[in-house]
Amino acid sequence: MNKESRLKARVNQKLTETGERDRLKELLRAKLTECGWEDQMKAQCKEVIKEKGLEHVTVEDIVLEVTPKGRALVPDSVKKELLQRIRAFLTQHVS
Amino acid sequence: MKMEEKPLSGPDNTRLEALIQDIYSELVEDACLGLCFEVHRAVKQGYFFLDETDQDSIKEFEIVDQPGVDIFGQVFNQWKNKECECPNCKRLIAASRFAPHLEKCLGMGRNSSRIANRRLASNNNISKSESDQEDNDDLNDNDWSYGAEKKAKKRKSDKNQNSPRRSKSLKHKNGELGTSISLDPYKYNYNAGISFESLGPNEVRSLLTTQCGVISEHTKKMCTRSHRCPQHTDDQRRAIRLRLLGPSVPTLPDADVEGDSFDVPDGQALLSCLQWEDSPDISPTDSASSKASTNHSDSRRPKKKKSALSMNSGGGGVNLTGVIGSSAQSNISLSTKKKKPKTAAPSVSSIYDELN
Repeated sequence: MNKESRLKARVNQKLTETGERDRLKELLRAKLTECGWEDQMKAQCKEVIKEKGLEHVTVEDIVLEVTPKGRALVPDSVKKELLQRIRAFLTQHVS
Repeated sequence: MKMEEKPLSGPDNTRLEALIQDIYSELVEDACLGLCFEVHRAVKQGYFFLDETDQDSIKEFEIVDQPGVDIFGQVFNQWKNKECECPNCKRLIAASRFAPHLEKCLGMGRNSSRIANRRLASNNNISKSESDQEDNDDLNDNDWSYGAEKKAKKRKSDKNQNSPRRSKSLKHKNGELGTSISLDPYKYNYNAGISFESLGPNEVRSLLTTQCGVISEHTKKMCTRSHRCPQHTDDQRRAIRLRLLGPSVPTLPDADVEGDSFDVPDGQALLSCLQWEDSPDISPTDSASSKASTNHSDSRRPKKKKSALSMNSGGGGVNLTGVIGSSAQSNISLSTKKKKPKTAAPSVSSIYDELN
C-alpha cells in the first residue's frame, strides 16, 4: 500500500508539475459542455433547488444530490478519450 | 469512492489501469464540484433563473419553422414588388431601385456629383466648339445661352464635329482654342491653356520656346501644345511672339559697328538654332542681366532692330520649331558679349534672304 500510495503521489506530482492536470481539466470541461452534459446537470440542479427551496439550499445539498448523477451522465466517448490521454501520459513519464 | 484497494500482486498493467481510473475519477469529480459551486453562487446571487421568462413571452418569441418564412415569421421578399413615390420627382420607383434613384434625383451622393461635373465639362467643350463654327465674334457674347440651345437640339451632329477631319477645316480660324478641345469632348480639357497675363516675361519666353503659345480669342489663354500643333499656323505663332516678346527683344547690342551688329545677331541666331533646345536654360539669366542694355539698344536703333527682328521671325517661322523664341534669346545673350565672330555673318544673312 505504501508503494501504491507513493506511486500515486509521484504520479500526481508529475501531473501537476508538467501542467497536464490543468490541461486535462480544461479538456474535460470543454468536452462536457460540448456534449450537453453541463446543461443536463444544470437542469438537475434546478430540480434540487426547487425541491429544497431557493433560499435555503446549500452547497452540500447540491453536491450530494448532483455529483453521482453527473458521474453517470458523462458520455462514453469523452470518458474514453480522457482515459487515453491519461494512459499516454503515464506511459510517457512514469516507468 | 476511490478505488484504491487493488491487489498489489496484480500485474503492473492492472495497477496502471487502476491508477488511470483513479485519475479520471478525480477529474470528473472536479468538474462536477466546479459546476455545483457555480450554480450555488448563481442561486445565492440571484442570477440563476434569469433566462426563464413567463410563458407568454416564450410563446411569442418562439422559433418559427414554416416554409416561405424566416425564423422570425417574416416573409422574405415582401417589399420586392412594391413601388414608392419619389418625393422629389413624384414618380413611382421600384423599391429596390429607390435608393439609387433618390441619390441621383436629389443630387446628393458621390456618383451624382461626378456625373454632373462631367456633364458640365462636356457642355463647355461643346458650346465652345459650336461657337467656333459661328465664325462671328459678335455671337461670343451670347456664348452661354446660344451654345446650350444648340447643344440641346443638335446632340448627334456634335459627335461628327469632334472628329479629326473636322478640326482641320477649322484650322484657319484665328487662334481659336476651341478646336483643340473639340477633339476631346468628354475629357476635362477645357482648361488646356495658360493665361499669359499672369506670367513674367522670362516665363513667357521660356514658354514660347517650348509651346505653340498662340492665344485663343475666347479664353485669352496660350495654347500649350507643341510647336507643330495642327490647330494653329506658324503665322499665328509668329504674331504672338512679336506681340509678347517684341517690345523687350533686344536684337542689337549696345554699341559697336552698326552694319555688323545687324548681321551678327542673325549669325548667332543661326548657330543657336541648331541647338535651340538649350536656349531656355540660358535665356532667363541672360535676359535678366541684359535687359537694361537691350532697352538702350531699343531706343538707339529702332529701325534696324525691327528689321532684324522681322528677319529673325521670318527665318524662325519657316523653320517651324521654337526658333523665334530661341533666336530672340540668343540675341539677348549676344548683347552681353559684345564682340562676336563676323565671318559667318554674310553667308548667314544670305540664307535668311533665301528663307524670306
